[in-house]
Amino acid sequence: MSDSLREILDLQLFWEFRTVLLRGLAVNFYVFAAAAVLALILGLGAALLRNSRFSPLRWLGALHVEVFRNAPDYVMVVWVHFVLPLLIGAVLHSRFEFDPFVSAMIALGFVYSGYFAETFRAGIEAIPAGHLEAARSLGMGEGLILRRIILPQVVRSMLPESINQFISLFKATTIVSLIAVPDLMYQVSMITQQQMRPLPLYTGAAITYFVIVLVAGSSLRVLADRWRAKILA
Amino acid sequence: MNDLPMIRVVDVHKRFGTLEVLKGVSFDVHRGSVVSMIGASGSGKSTLLRCINHLEVPSAGDIFIEGESLCFRGAADGARKPRSLAEINRIRRDLGIVFQQFNLWPHMTVLGNVTEAPQRVRGMSRKDAIALGEACLARVHLRDKAHEYPARLSGGQQQRVAIARALAMQPKVMLFDEPTSSLDPELTDEVLAVMRELADDGTTMIVVTHEMGFAKDVSDQVMFLHNGLIEEEGPPAQVFGAPRSERLRQFISKYVQ
Repeated sequence: MSDSLREILDLQLFWEFRTVLLRGLAVNFYVFAAAAVLALILGLGAALLRNSRFSPLRWLGALHVEVFRNAPDYVMVVWVHFVLPLLIGAVLHSRFEFDPFVSAMIALGFVYSGYFAETFRAGIEAIPAGHLEAARSLGMGEGLILRRIILPQVVRSMLPESINQFISLFKATTIVSLIAVPDLMYQVSMITQQQMRPLPLYTGAAITYFVIVLVAGSSLRVLADRWRAKILA
Repeated sequence: MNDLPMIRVVDVHKRFGTLEVLKGVSFDVHRGSVVSMIGASGSGKSTLLRCINHLEVPSAGDIFIEGESLCFRGAADGARKPRSLAEINRIRRDLGIVFQQFNLWPHMTVLGNVTEAPQRVRGMSRKDAIALGEACLARVHLRDKAHEYPARLSGGQQQRVAIARALAMQPKVMLFDEPTSSLDPELTDEVLAVMRELADDGTTMIVVTHEMGFAKDVSDQVMFLHNGLIEEEGPPAQVFGAPRSERLRQFISKYVQ
């Protein structure tokens, strides 16, 4: 085996720096969780707007979906971190900046809200009108119907697709190192420069992400299927 | 108060675009009586029933539940204003409806379906709602299925749960919209049997049905709808035994063997 190949597959260095790398991985999870919550809230909001009775609200929902679904993750992260604060600063007439973590959360949260909005919408539209009529006929108000009849069914029906979107979002958190959020990839670059050994750490990072996505993704799918099986004929 | 008809339908019209489905229907339903509505598909009978629960809004006319208008609120100046959704929802509590497609909520257990509205709409405690729900399930002979999910039940059982769900709101009137039409023939009897028991208990019922045997045996009053109007009405013996109009005669010869 050539030296360079051995270098690529040598995980010794990765193990040596495990604490700091693990801390980086934790940051990936924080960014993921914060962006996921934001994406779900905004996505549900946009989906409800798209189902609204008032056409201006429907257009607003559609605009949200089209703008953010079509924005590349990387461009959004950079734009939110470097351009948006200038715009806000101009409005406020003072210097303004986002913490890199906040920028990452906003950028990824908005991008993925575009996808989640469409998933929510498909789930809402899949509910038979009769389920809602039955609820109305018993005197249930629209808020109660949303909370008790629509959302629980939507969550179940959108699970398979949203697991895929959560996985994409988790993978997307690896680009936040570009605005100096200290995630796993950021730590890898730092140590690489410090040790001047470019290759082994990237292999370790690749394997780590791969294992996490594989294990989390497949176990979530199994759990989701079991939970859904109860209510399907 | 007790002299007031339970339900009074006054000159109800319903248009969908240019199509007039109901062309001025009026009738009374008294406390404890069972009214069957029969007629061909498209005669307007389901639309009429849905109007009584405000699932369809009449284009003209009004419906009174124990004297209270379903569609309008009298203002101080005598003007009539359409009711708000909150007011309609309050009135709806007293009007149970059972649909052709059952419409059980699949993510809740049978008991969950039955206790949902008593708990969240009537504001009952969980304990009371469960006791009431179990009693209602007992009335449809499904107490043992309380913790199943609807997907595990047959169509007939699902429809009986739907009846229990409506009963759990302790409505003044039960409305049935072709409750056996999407059931296999061998499953209709168990649903009809439950409905007969409700009728025997003195429940006020309006039933849209193609089950002529049921209409004949159980109802106090039968209404035959044709093209959005009540063509003929009367006690079942008269409607089935001595139909006056040619249309009703044709209809009966087609449906009653």
